[in-house]
Amino acid sequence: MTASQASAPRKRTPRKNRRWTKRSRRNLVTGLLFITPWIIGFLAFTFYPMVSSLYTSFTIYHVRAPSEWVGLANYQEMLADRRFWKALYNTFYMVIFAVPLMLFGSFLCAVLLNLKLKGQSFYRLVYFLPSIIPLVASTILWVWLFNTNNGLINVALGHLGIDGPSWLTDPQWSKPALIIMGLWGMGSTIIIYLSGLQDVPASLLEAAELDGASWWQRLWHVTIPMVSPITLFNLILGVIAMFQYFTQAYIFAGAQSSTAASGGRVLGAPLDSTLFYSVYLYHKAFINLKFGYASAMAWVLFIIIMICTIVLLRFSERWTYYGEEA
Amino acid sequence: MPGKRFWIVLTMLVVVVGLLAACAPAAAPETSEAPAADQAAASEAGGSGAGGETLNVWITWGDNPAQIQSLFNQYGEANGVEVVVNSPVDNDKVIAALSGSEPPDVLVLSGPDDVSTWVTEGLLEPLDDLAAANGIDLEDIYPAMLAQGKRGDSLYALPWGSDTYGLYWNKDLFEEAGLDPEKPPQTLEELVEYADKLTKVDADGKITQIGFVPDFSWSHIEQYAPMFGGYWVSDDGTQVLLDSQPIIDALKWEQQFYTKYGPEEVLRFVSSTGDYASAENGFMAGKVAMTVDGEWMVGPNFIEGLKPDLWYGVAPFPYPEAYPERANTNAVGGTVVVIPSGVKDVDASAKLLAWMMSPEVVAEEMIANYNLPSSKTAAEDPRFHENEKFVIFMELANDPNATTQIYTPVSSEISTELSLIEEQVLHAGADPEPLLKDAQEKLQAELDKALAQ
Repeated sequence: MTASQASAPRKRTPRKNRRWTKRSRRNLVTGLLFITPWIIGFLAFTFYPMVSSLYTSFTIYHVRAPSEWVGLANYQEMLADRRFWKALYNTFYMVIFAVPLMLFGSFLCAVLLNLKLKGQSFYRLVYFLPSIIPLVASTILWVWLFNTNNGLINVALGHLGIDGPSWLTDPQWSKPALIIMGLWGMGSTIIIYLSGLQDVPASLLEAAELDGASWWQRLWHVTIPMVSPITLFNLILGVIAMFQYFTQAYIFAGAQSSTAASGGRVLGAPLDSTLFYSVYLYHKAFINLKFGYASAMAWVLFIIIMICTIVLLRFSERWTYYGEEA
Repeated sequence: MPGKRFWIVLTMLVVVVGLLAACAPAAAPETSEAPAADQAAASEAGGSGAGGETLNVWITWGDNPAQIQSLFNQYGEANGVEVVVNSPVDNDKVIAALSGSEPPDVLVLSGPDDVSTWVTEGLLEPLDDLAAANGIDLEDIYPAMLAQGKRGDSLYALPWGSDTYGLYWNKDLFEEAGLDPEKPPQTLEELVEYADKLTKVDADGKITQIGFVPDFSWSHIEQYAPMFGGYWVSDDGTQVLLDSQPIIDALKWEQQFYTKYGPEEVLRFVSSTGDYASAENGFMAGKVAMTVDGEWMVGPNFIEGLKPDLWYGVAPFPYPEAYPERANTNAVGGTVVVIPSGVKDVDASAKLLAWMMSPEVVAEEMIANYNLPSSKTAAEDPRFHENEKFVIFMELANDPNATTQIYTPVSSEISTELSLIEEQVLHAGADPEPLLKDAQEKLQAELDKALAQ
C-alpha cells in the first residue's frame, strides 16, 4: 500500500548490548521523573476514569450501593433502544454533511484571507472573532437569528421572496440550522489552513505560473495537494468533534419555549431531530441516572471514533502529500 | 557527576510532592467548586470568626441569589451559624455532590421529579422522624403538596412552595371576537369552540392570532389527564397506565388544536412568539388568546410588572361537559426541600429545614417568588390576598379536586417517554394509541424490575 514503507526497509541499529547500561537506566529514571507530573495527571484523570467507565459499562451502577455486574446487558439494551439508533443517525448525519462543508468553507475563507489585499489582517480578525465568543452565548444568539417570523435570517429570505422554514420547530430543518451555525464559528480551522497556505512554496506557484497555469490550475494542482496534510488534520479533528457534538444541541433544544420548565427536560427537540449521541448519553447519565448504560454508550462511541480515524488515516495515504521523501 | 544528578532528582521529587499536595483538595472538584468564590470566602470567615459551623444550602432554581442569601442570614444570625446559599445549582453538580462525601446540608429542588430515582438510590434521608422531632407541623401543609414528597409510606421531601395552573384569557381579544369578556369557557367543549373563534388566519393561510395551544408554553399533560379521569400511573405507584383511556383521550383532545390549522402552521406561529419572561410572550402580546399558566404569571415578575395594563382574566381550567364533578381539578407541584443522606449533621440539617418550613419563612420566600405557600397558616398572610387573581390559584390548590403527580422509581423514564409521545401526537400528527401501547409494555417491565429490587 505504501511506496515509502516498501522502498525503505527500516534500518535497525544493531544493539551491542541488549542489557541496559547503568547510564541509560539512570537517564530513563531521570526522564521519567521529569514527566512524572504528566504521568500522575494521566493516570489519575484519564487512565483511571477510562478503566472505571469500562468497568461501569458492564454494571448497573448504583450511586451509593455497590454496582451489580450485568455483563453485556447494557450493550444488548442499546441494540433494542430506538432512541440510541436515532441519536447515532443524527450524529452520522452531522459528521457526513457538516464536516466536509466545514472543511470546504474554511479552506475557501483561508484562500480569500491569503490574498494580498489591503487591510487583510482586519478581515482575518473578523473571520476569527466568532471563535472567541463563548459557545453558549453564540448559540443563544443564533436561536434568535433563526426565529421563524422575526429572526434576521427569515426576514432576509423574505426580502428575497423566499418563505423561510421554521428552523427550530421543523425536524427537517433543525440539523441544517445547526450546520449553518457551525460554519460561522470555524475560525480556528481557517487559521490552521491559513498557516498551511503560507507554507506552500512560492517557487512552485511561480514555476506553474511561468508554465502558463491559470489561477484555478495553480490552486487545484499545487496549493490543494500541498495543504493536503492540513486537510487531513482538520478532517480528523472535525470528525472527532462532530461525534461529540453537544453544547449547541443542548442549548438549541433548551431554548425552545416548550422545554423551558417542568416536564420539559426532553432533549433533542423537535421530534428527536437534534438528539445527538452525546446529548442522549448525558440524558441517560444525569437525568435517568443510568451511568452503566451511559458508560457503555461512551465506549461504543470511543470505538466508532477510533474506527473512523483509522479508516480516514488509511485512505489518506492516497491523497495526502508530504513532500519529497529522502 | 552524581552530586548534580542528586540535586536534580531531589528537585523533581519536591515538585512532584508539591503537585500531589496541591492536587489532593482539587481531586473532588465536583463537590467543592460549586459555591462561588465570594461565598467560599464567606464560609471561611464564618468558620474561623464565629467559631460556629457552616451549613450549605443548594437550590436548583433562583434568579435572585441575594434575596435568598439574606433570608437564610436571618437563620444564621439567630443561631450563630453561617448559612451559605448556592443558587442556582446545575443538576449534574447536585448528582456529583449527592454521590460524593460532602453533600449540601439542605437541598432545594425545583420539583419532586428526581426524588423517586434518588430515593431508590438511597441518596435521601427519610423525613418522618426528623419532622416530628423538630416540630414541623405536617397538618399545616396542603395535602396535595405534601403528597409529592411521599415515596411508599415514607416522606422524603417537604414542599416549600408550590405551583398550580389555571386558564388565562385575554378579554380584549374575547370582545373583538364577539365573546363575553367576563365569561371564560366553562367546559372543554366550549374551550374548543372559543379557540376556533379566537383564531385568525390571513389570506395566505398564515395564522396571525391563535385561540389556544395546549402545550403553550410547555406541556400541561399532568393538568389534562386528571380532567379526563385518570393518570398514567396507578395511585399505589405499581402499575403504569399509559395506554389507559384518560391518557388517550387527553392526547386526542390536545391534538385537535393542531390538526385543525396544521401542525406546521401552529408550530411556526408559536415559535415566532417572544421570550416567556418578557412582554413579547405570546399571551402578553395578545397573540395567544387563551393559555394554561401558573400562579406566578399574575405577579410582579410577569404580567403585573411587564404588561400591567393587559386586560385579562384567570379561571379554573374547564372540565368535560359530561363530568361537572371534575370542575376545579388541578395538578399542584413545585419546589421541595430534601436532606441528602450522608450529611455531616442530620440534626443541624433538620433544624434548618424546620425553620424553612415555618409559616413566616414560607410566607416570606413565596411572596418574594410569587408562588403558592405550602403552609395553610402562611396562606393567611394578607400579602397573598392583595391580588384576587392569585387567590384563585390558592383556592385551587386547596380544592378537594387538587391532585399531584404520582411518582415511581422510573418516573424520569415515564415522563421522558410521555413527552416524546405528546410531541409526536401534537406536532407530527401521530396516532397516540400504538405509541402509548409500546411505551406501556416497555415501562411496566422497567417498573416491575425496579420494584422487585
